[in-house]
Amino acid sequence: MNVLLMGHPNVGKSVFFNRLTGANVTESNYPGTTVDFTKGWMKIDGEDAELVDVPGTFSLDPKDKAEEVAVAMLHENKDAKVICVIDASKIERGVYLALEILEEGYPMVIALNMWDAAVDKNILIDINNLQRILGVPVVSTVAISGEGIKELTLKLKEAKPIKIEDIVKNAGGLT
Amino acid sequence: MKLTIDQRWDLIDKIAKQTVTFGEYRHTLKDAIGELTIKPFTGIPIAIAVMYAFWSIFSSFAGTLFTDGFMVKLFDGHFLPWMQDIFPGAGGWLYYIIVGDPLANNSFEALGVLTSGFFVAIGVVLPAIFIFYLMLALLEDMGYMPRLAVLIDTVLHRIGLHGYAIVPTILSLGCNVPGVAATRILETKKQRFIMMTLLAIFIPCGAQIGIMEEVIPDTMGWVLLYLITGYFIFGYILNKIVPGKSPEFLIDVPPYRKPMISNLSKKVWGRIVGFFKVALPFVLLGCGIVNVLYLVGFIDWVGNVFSPVFVLWFGVPEATAGPLIAAFLRKDLAVAQLSVIEMTPYQMISAVVLVSIYFPCVATFAMMIKEGVKEMLGALAVLFVVVFLYGGLIHLIGILLGVA
Amino acid sequence: MAERSIAAIYFAILGIITTAFGIADILVTMGAGSFAFGILEIPGDLFRGVWGGFIVLSAGLFYLSGIRNFEDIHQFSKIVMGSILIWIMAGCDIFAMITESIPGGEDGPWFNTLNGFIGTYAPPYTPAVLLLPFSLVVVYYIYKRK
Repeated sequence: MNVLLMGHPNVGKSVFFNRLTGANVTESNYPGTTVDFTKGWMKIDGEDAELVDVPGTFSLDPKDKAEEVAVAMLHENKDAKVICVIDASKIERGVYLALEILEEGYPMVIALNMWDAAVDKNILIDINNLQRILGVPVVSTVAISGEGIKELTLKLKEAKPIKIEDIVKNAGGLT
Repeated sequence: MKLTIDQRWDLIDKIAKQTVTFGEYRHTLKDAIGELTIKPFTGIPIAIAVMYAFWSIFSSFAGTLFTDGFMVKLFDGHFLPWMQDIFPGAGGWLYYIIVGDPLANNSFEALGVLTSGFFVAIGVVLPAIFIFYLMLALLEDMGYMPRLAVLIDTVLHRIGLHGYAIVPTILSLGCNVPGVAATRILETKKQRFIMMTLLAIFIPCGAQIGIMEEVIPDTMGWVLLYLITGYFIFGYILNKIVPGKSPEFLIDVPPYRKPMISNLSKKVWGRIVGFFKVALPFVLLGCGIVNVLYLVGFIDWVGNVFSPVFVLWFGVPEATAGPLIAAFLRKDLAVAQLSVIEMTPYQMISAVVLVSIYFPCVATFAMMIKEGVKEMLGALAVLFVVVFLYGGLIHLIGILLGVA
Repeated sequence: MAERSIAAIYFAILGIITTAFGIADILVTMGAGSFAFGILEIPGDLFRGVWGGFIVLSAGLFYLSGIRNFEDIHQFSKIVMGSILIWIMAGCDIFAMITESIPGGEDGPWFNTLNGFIGTYAPPYTPAVLLLPFSLVVVYYIYKRK
């Protein structure tokens, strides 16, 4: 199995990567730390899976060379599953990228990372409802402390391609 | 089915309304301090304080404690005399390459592979890069870098870059190699070209800063001033002549976070391993090559041939030819070799500036090739022009000030 | 109410002294060189004197600009920032002392003697180190806010 870690810059993809694979890629608190992809191995239910730390990207319409790498990674791995990492306090922007990836038919799990910071800011997210509308597993995580990581890997099995029409229907239609 | 951009935002709007509630949010002290570090009026003094702390701790730790406190004593007092003593064949060519001057009483002047080479690498550069990377990692993990980017945005716009260019620049102060890699976050080819060229020419690396702090503490301020000035002057010019766009860029400022010791130590450890794998062999190799070239008379020959350029155009002695060749492998080694040449303070400043700007070290060079051969060739072309113009300009300033 | 004005007066005085120290730092370094009076010592080098002096001066101005309407978080954050700048300066000065105190000097033994080690920490001190204990008062107010 092939798993891609995708999301905006500086949402903690590299922290996930290190947690999941035991690797040592650089983590920093500034956007643009990862400018190239790194591959590593992780175990899901005793099965080896290849995990790729993809550079951060705002959308699938690349603006710089690091984003080009990200989009190319996605398109080269047509059968991959995607872990979409979203900053829980900036959920709208993150969901935009998630929708774009879902539209291309990739199975996905969403990690609402930096959950603790969102709680501090009094932002409440109804995870069950979000899960129902999007039809993909959604897990709240705090990658730095490891919270939610285990659940995230367990949910990877449940990830399956979603029809965007279903999301539109669940959300109550377009205007 | 694919949605249009508007449909996507419309959908997100609906989803967000059903799932997210924003509670009342009161500004915390952390937010308020975060704002102070971004507003120019309060942010600039804070940035100046951060730089002060960086420099102060760097020179206390690397200079006072390690190099002057222990390493000089260890190498000059014990290692150098021991090497001079036990290595056979004083005066022979092998002795000259490995140990250097049999009469030297300090490790800078011996110039041998195992004497000066080891001293420069282990005695001076290792403590310097250790503390440098530790503090750099601290700033990275706290989240101060993007704030610095916001602060300096207006200034950098003048040279066709946006504030985020400060990130590759600061990374380059550690080592130009990750700095060049980090230019990928810039959007257009033009910006990446300007940035890469400026980094390769004007930004001294941590190893070089460490050695300058040790051998020319009084004049290094001038060297840095010349380099920073050059960075802006040539950035401005490149922005005018390189075709392409420099678009606006919105910087995402992350919240301050507490750095984690495990992550800090991982980063610093990675650097130290890299130092032993890459830097140390290159310093020793550089030392050896320069010694061999001296022995076969090549450096004297280069010195003679280019003597008019060195003496008349740049105003530095011919003897700087040797260090300039070493600079291709390691800038720190080149500065160390310059420091033992008899020169006036003005000549020393010019020579060190020349060594810094004249050619990227071999590791940076390799990284630039990886990023694009065309860009690398362009950067080299700019580099030759800059070395001549800027070197001449510094000489001119020296003449006008009456010190050259 | 009373406590609030005590705090305001305290930080006003601290601000004035800090500002004065900063200005003194810069003037002394640019003018005569080093200067020692009682337990106060202004080092004469450009780096610590002028650059460092500017930071002490900024810390003083942060204090002074933060005392009005002290309860407001944005105002209070300036007071905190003033103290942080002092901590940065004092921290650097103390770190410099530590690094000087350990090695035994150019012709001496590997490590410093105990007397030499302790002697490094004796007064006089730089302005930032002298201001350090007074700047710590802000910690009390940070906890009180919570």
